[in-house]
Amino acid sequence: MSAPPPPSDYLVLEDIRKQFGDFHALKGVSLTVRAGELLCFLGPSGCGKTTLLRIIAGLETQSGGRIVQAGRDISLLPPMKRDYGIVFQSYALFPNLTIAENVAYGLVNRRVNRAERERRVAELLALVGLPDSGPKYPAQLSGGQQQRIAIARAIATSPGLMLLDEPLSALDARVRVRLRGEIRSLQQRLGVTTILVTHDQEEALTMADRIVVMNHGVIEQTGTPLEVYRDPATPFVADFVGKTNLLPAAGAGAGRVRVGDQRFACDVDAALVDSPRLQVFFRPEDVQVRGVAGETPNSALAVVERLEFLGAYSRLTMRLNGIDQALYADLSVNDLAEFRVKPGDTLRVAIPAERLRVFAAA
Amino acid sequence: MSAAPPEPAYSSIAPGQPQLFGRVYQPRLRNHWSDRVGIGLLSAAGIALAVFLIGPLATILAKAMQDRAGEWVGLANFAQYFATPALARSIWNSAWVSAMVTAITIPLAFAFAYGLTRSCIRGKALLRNIALVPILAPSLLAAISFIYWFGNQGLLKSWLGEQQIFGAPGIVLSLVFATFPHALMILVTSLSLTDARLYEAADALGTGTVRKFLTITLPGAKYGLISAAMVVFTYAISDFGIPKVIGGNFNMLATDIFKLVIGQQDFAKGAVVGILLLAPVAVTYLVDAWVQRRQSALLTARSVPYSPKPSRGFDLAMAAFCWVMAALMLAMMGMAVFASFVKFWPYDFTMSLNHYRMGLVEAGIFEAYVNSVTLAAWCATLGTVAIFGTAYLLEKTRGAEGWRPLVRLMVVLPMGVPGMVLGLGYVFFFVQEGNPLHFLYGSMAILVLNTVVHYYTSSHLTAVTALKQIDNEFEAVSASLRVPFWKTFHRVTVPVCLPAILEISRYLFVNAMTTVSAVVFLYSPKTTLASVAIVNLDEAGDIGAAAAMATLVVATSALVCVVYYFLQVALDRRTQAWRQP
Repeated sequence: MSAPPPPSDYLVLEDIRKQFGDFHALKGVSLTVRAGELLCFLGPSGCGKTTLLRIIAGLETQSGGRIVQAGRDISLLPPMKRDYGIVFQSYALFPNLTIAENVAYGLVNRRVNRAERERRVAELLALVGLPDSGPKYPAQLSGGQQQRIAIARAIATSPGLMLLDEPLSALDARVRVRLRGEIRSLQQRLGVTTILVTHDQEEALTMADRIVVMNHGVIEQTGTPLEVYRDPATPFVADFVGKTNLLPAAGAGAGRVRVGDQRFACDVDAALVDSPRLQVFFRPEDVQVRGVAGETPNSALAVVERLEFLGAYSRLTMRLNGIDQALYADLSVNDLAEFRVKPGDTLRVAIPAERLRVFAAA
Repeated sequence: MSAAPPEPAYSSIAPGQPQLFGRVYQPRLRNHWSDRVGIGLLSAAGIALAVFLIGPLATILAKAMQDRAGEWVGLANFAQYFATPALARSIWNSAWVSAMVTAITIPLAFAFAYGLTRSCIRGKALLRNIALVPILAPSLLAAISFIYWFGNQGLLKSWLGEQQIFGAPGIVLSLVFATFPHALMILVTSLSLTDARLYEAADALGTGTVRKFLTITLPGAKYGLISAAMVVFTYAISDFGIPKVIGGNFNMLATDIFKLVIGQQDFAKGAVVGILLLAPVAVTYLVDAWVQRRQSALLTARSVPYSPKPSRGFDLAMAAFCWVMAALMLAMMGMAVFASFVKFWPYDFTMSLNHYRMGLVEAGIFEAYVNSVTLAAWCATLGTVAIFGTAYLLEKTRGAEGWRPLVRLMVVLPMGVPGMVLGLGYVFFFVQEGNPLHFLYGSMAILVLNTVVHYYTSSHLTAVTALKQIDNEFEAVSASLRVPFWKTFHRVTVPVCLPAILEISRYLFVNAMTTVSAVVFLYSPKTTLASVAIVNLDEAGDIGAAAAMATLVVATSALVCVVYYFLQVALDRRTQAWRQP
């Protein structure tokens, strides 16, 4: 069983387009999926992420572009000639077949003898943590269990690529969080190249090796979860991933922007230096209150308007001088206790220059 | 100038680039050989529908424009038709009788449905089943019964005074009974599709009963009412059996077709009447299709079903109304059954099997009953396979995108074609010597084909509803596992859809047993059917034997329904494991 290692670029999409009448669902998407990684398509509904996945599966046909899987051009191959396993949000388990029959569904066709088949099914059921569920029917399992069976069925034939279409969206919050970890560790153990489609940014951040953020049929950014979170390429990404402050700003000379009555130091792209319409981005947790004094760089006074208790931390809604839009700051429970913040207070806050990013306003 | 960039090795499409005739070029996936099997089967179904539905209908259009010699005469036949007062009057007769039947049936059926769904009366299941019994009988059973009640030798003849039951009164009354269950089924569904939360909200706002009825109940049932009215009107205007048996000299379009084609061999005028009959039915059908599409949005998955609360006066009134209706139904149905056992109406009321033994068996007419059962059995088996299989191919397979819409159109067309028109088309189409399918003329096969096509759409919709309820991704999953679609069809789709398949089969059986309209043109001496025999016996004045035959048909239909019911129960028991967690 010493197959040569697959090329590191396992799946290559070149300029994939999809048009439904006058609507352009995908406007030329190119990307590469590396062997063994879990790549996540993230975006709001209607961004084209599911269409892209279905094109990779051959369930939709691209209007243009090319798909190469493991060095083979699969652009025009029917689904049956492609090599992938797929898991849908609805599980799509066959309701009248037992769990064991479901898992063995793809094996029956491949001249695997009965004993071998049973061994493989037992192995897969153990792998997804449901070793005793073989004789049951899908309706007798919980949603999370059914989804694990769907995964077992998809990987039974050892496909080169696993496609997960919103696999956790139908589950309740607690199960979803647990299954995230399970799917991720299963994927890593098997080393199977995987594409996950989701609209849940938390899911993408926790599970993916890399995230492809999509909007309106184009890729906004591709990067590791940390890159996408810390260093969003566009205001859309900044806004879609995580809780965000995007405040209107104006250029105020090299390395400075004006936000309301305040001036902040930060990196500003040379092209944007003099622009009157900018947006400045930072995360609520980047707003500092501890050890901030009048001389602290990038500090300003802000009035606390509202305080929202969220468990481990609290979110303050604040307002800076000369600006209508509110600013959010996350304070830990300890900070909150120490500073005794309450609505109406004025607080000096600072935002480190390296945490600020400047975009041209849309 | 720099050299042009090298051509890419693959065909990619730049934005707005190659547009052929204003349409964007859309590449197609290669077909797997299993896809080709699906495309082949779907094509076969499409061709069959084209031959056995479009062919006959097109022939009617052609015949209407030809004279007896087959020469093209344009609209001359229509002009001639309207110039014949006796014929033109049939249009008016058909229209007002159908309108009147609709106006009577819909309020009655609505009140009955309201009682079944919104009151706390007892015996709802029994009431419902009694009300649905007429579906098991040929429509003309109602006419036969009315003759026994109010005809010249009828038990209650005196109630009518000078008035005759034959003619419009008999037709209207019989049609009301025949159409009642059809309207009832639609209205019960419509009234059940309500969200209890609307009523709770109204109660919380202190809304009165009448206002709730006017603002919630009626608007909610609006589409059901329109739909039921369309169905009743269509049924009434295209029914043949009732005006034939009880119409006397009162002419309607459906009986005119028969007289013109069978009696006078005037094919051209028959075709004209067929087209005149097709028009209103097609219109009501389009309205209904539009209504159906709107109705589906009314109920969401999160709706809470309504359950009525007891209210003494109202429940009592509803119970009284429903039981009176049920009693009338039973009296109507029962009379034909009773009369079939009466030795010599109205002189000797002793019970005997004379009508069965002498009227049917010894007269050699019993064979018609055997033919009907044979026809029904073929329709219930082959018809079900063909209809469900085609619905599956349409809904769940891929490929042949070009002419899939055509097949989709053809499968919904039969509902808009009255049986008389379809039957007429079959005669015109298959009687032609040059038609390579001419050999089918006069055979059992043509009756089977005609009946399956006639009842195609309802069966197809039942199949589609069931298919839509199962996960759309089964085929995608199967393809990813490299399992061909037919394997998933037989291992998953058929077992999961078995209740719907049984329902289609039962529906086809019962309709094949009871239908008169289309087949009245198509039977041969060897393939006479029970329902046709009833018409002929009645015409020959042997109404006792006609009643006996009708009773046989009802009994058979009822028995078959019971058999299907037990099949269903057995099936439920077997599949309980996977249906219920």
